[in-house]
Amino acid sequence: MSAAKKRKFRLNYEQRNAMRGYAFILPWLIGFLVFYAGCLFQLVRFSVMDIKIDATTGTRLDTFVGFDNFITAFTAHASFKQVLTSSLIDMVIDLPLIIFFSLFVALLLNRKFRGRALVRAIFFLPIILSADAVGSAITRATELMNNGVSAQAAEMAGGGAVSVSYYISLFGDLAIPPTILEYLVGAVNRIASIIKGSGVQIILFIAALQSIPGSLYEVAKIEGATGYETLWKVTVPMVMPHIITNTIYTLVDRFTTSEVMRLANETYQKYNYGLSSVFSLVATTATILILGVIVYLLNKRAFYYN
Amino acid sequence: MSTASQHKPVDTRPEKIIKLEKKMRRKEGGKKLNRSMAGNTLLFIIMGISGLFMVLPLVMIVNNALKPLDEIYQFPPRIFVRNPTLTNFSDLFVLMNESWVPFSRYIFNTIIISLGGMLGHVIVASMAAYPLAKHKFPGKALLFSMVVLSMMFSWTVTQIPQYLIISWLGINNTYAALVLPAWAFGMGLYLMKQFMEQLPDSLMESARLQGANEWQIFWQIVMPNVRPAWLTLAIFQFQQMWGNTGGMFLRNEELKPLQYALQQITSGGVSRAGAGAAVTFIIAAIPIIFFLICQSSILETMTTSGMKD
Repeated sequence: MSAAKKRKFRLNYEQRNAMRGYAFILPWLIGFLVFYAGCLFQLVRFSVMDIKIDATTGTRLDTFVGFDNFITAFTAHASFKQVLTSSLIDMVIDLPLIIFFSLFVALLLNRKFRGRALVRAIFFLPIILSADAVGSAITRATELMNNGVSAQAAEMAGGGAVSVSYYISLFGDLAIPPTILEYLVGAVNRIASIIKGSGVQIILFIAALQSIPGSLYEVAKIEGATGYETLWKVTVPMVMPHIITNTIYTLVDRFTTSEVMRLANETYQKYNYGLSSVFSLVATTATILILGVIVYLLNKRAFYYN
Repeated sequence: MSTASQHKPVDTRPEKIIKLEKKMRRKEGGKKLNRSMAGNTLLFIIMGISGLFMVLPLVMIVNNALKPLDEIYQFPPRIFVRNPTLTNFSDLFVLMNESWVPFSRYIFNTIIISLGGMLGHVIVASMAAYPLAKHKFPGKALLFSMVVLSMMFSWTVTQIPQYLIISWLGINNTYAALVLPAWAFGMGLYLMKQFMEQLPDSLMESARLQGANEWQIFWQIVMPNVRPAWLTLAIFQFQQMWGNTGGMFLRNEELKPLQYALQQITSGGVSRAGAGAAVTFIIAAIPIIFFLICQSSILETMTTSGMKD
């Protein structure tokens, strides 16, 4: 090959940079395309098909039915619409709670105090405990406790529990608006799931807090800012991009464990493949829309250092 | 450790500034700024309660494993064990010895699958995350939205196509059927990208000026600096793989992972409740031990030392 021809293929700096970037991504991309992209395509295909497995021969029979599955999901299915809306609302309610809780915990864990390693380990536990294996092990353990004699005894004993609704109505008498009250009651009911769902977010926030240059805090101090002011004028703006990151992560995480996905999985296990694909598609699209709106709103307020 | 990691930097500041600060403190009546006893107590209580929530399941698992059978079914149920025994574990070992495939084989399978899936995922995801975080190239936004999208799909719903793909590749009924798909998960890539974005660009620039190529920068600059991130990811992924029962991809009994064998034991019902509790303990213990080993490096300062702000 002549020198002139060689030059033709020479890339400029930016192109070379891009090629290197692609080279690094390539292994993941191949894996993604091979194992997952096809599945996503199939999911869309399944949603417009009526899929039956022939019981005797075991072959799959696909018939194109157009939007029938969608129509069934929205008009004929007993619970899809309710489950969809309730799990979307749940996601939106949980989101600020998880973000605030994890930011709060991260702020505390980022400080120096005795026994910090232990406390951090404890707050890291949710990640371990939310893993499939451990989660199912815990469920099994509780089932063991519930299934046996104790469950029957508990039923017989019942009635001695504290009446939550009484306290709720008590607060209602204090003229707190019912919507706020409902949100608070809901939030209290969610405490366990919120704590469980904020492990990764705490880690991301800790990393974010540690990347804030100390000089900013020094300046704030010299200028005489109080801790409260420093929090809102330095810390929060600096972690804003990470709040967006965590928002995405939280929504995705909540979504994959939401009721509507459980419904889709259940439908799938009843061999109703077309319908479950529709559930999955509709729910995903709705979540992406919510995600888009929230990220857009946050992005307008975000401020990027560097 | 640099001062960047602490809110309250070590006093290496000029005399003048320290004096100024002291003066300001005097103005506030000599008190420490913005910290009250009541506030501290409240914080402690809140943290204590939420911490308790997190530890409770663990405490329950440990205690259940040590309970004799009659205590497991005791009503009202107790969290703490009264007469701790190790019968549950000895029962479990008896059961293990009766299994058709030697039990060590299950353990070996799980180790291969967990470590293979974990190492591959960490490396592949980190490699893909590096350019997404630190390079500019066309198609970046598209790739990243693909990552987020891939995290959102329920893989239960796509079981059939996944099975077809695995058999099309001819890796059905091998370890690869579990290990290879794990490499291309989106979650790790997403987390690694977020961590890598926090590395200062100047770190990589200086390496580039010294003549390092991208490969060297990745392995010698980026990866050591985001060690907490990939250790976290390793734990995360280890858990996912550890929980794998082999599902529909592994049919040979000799290839099935430990989880599967343990599940068989716990599905034995009331008579196996004791052994089941021991199994639960083992399932939970291994990831926690793994976590404790890596723990000292996790959640610690991301290195920005060596940088002058």
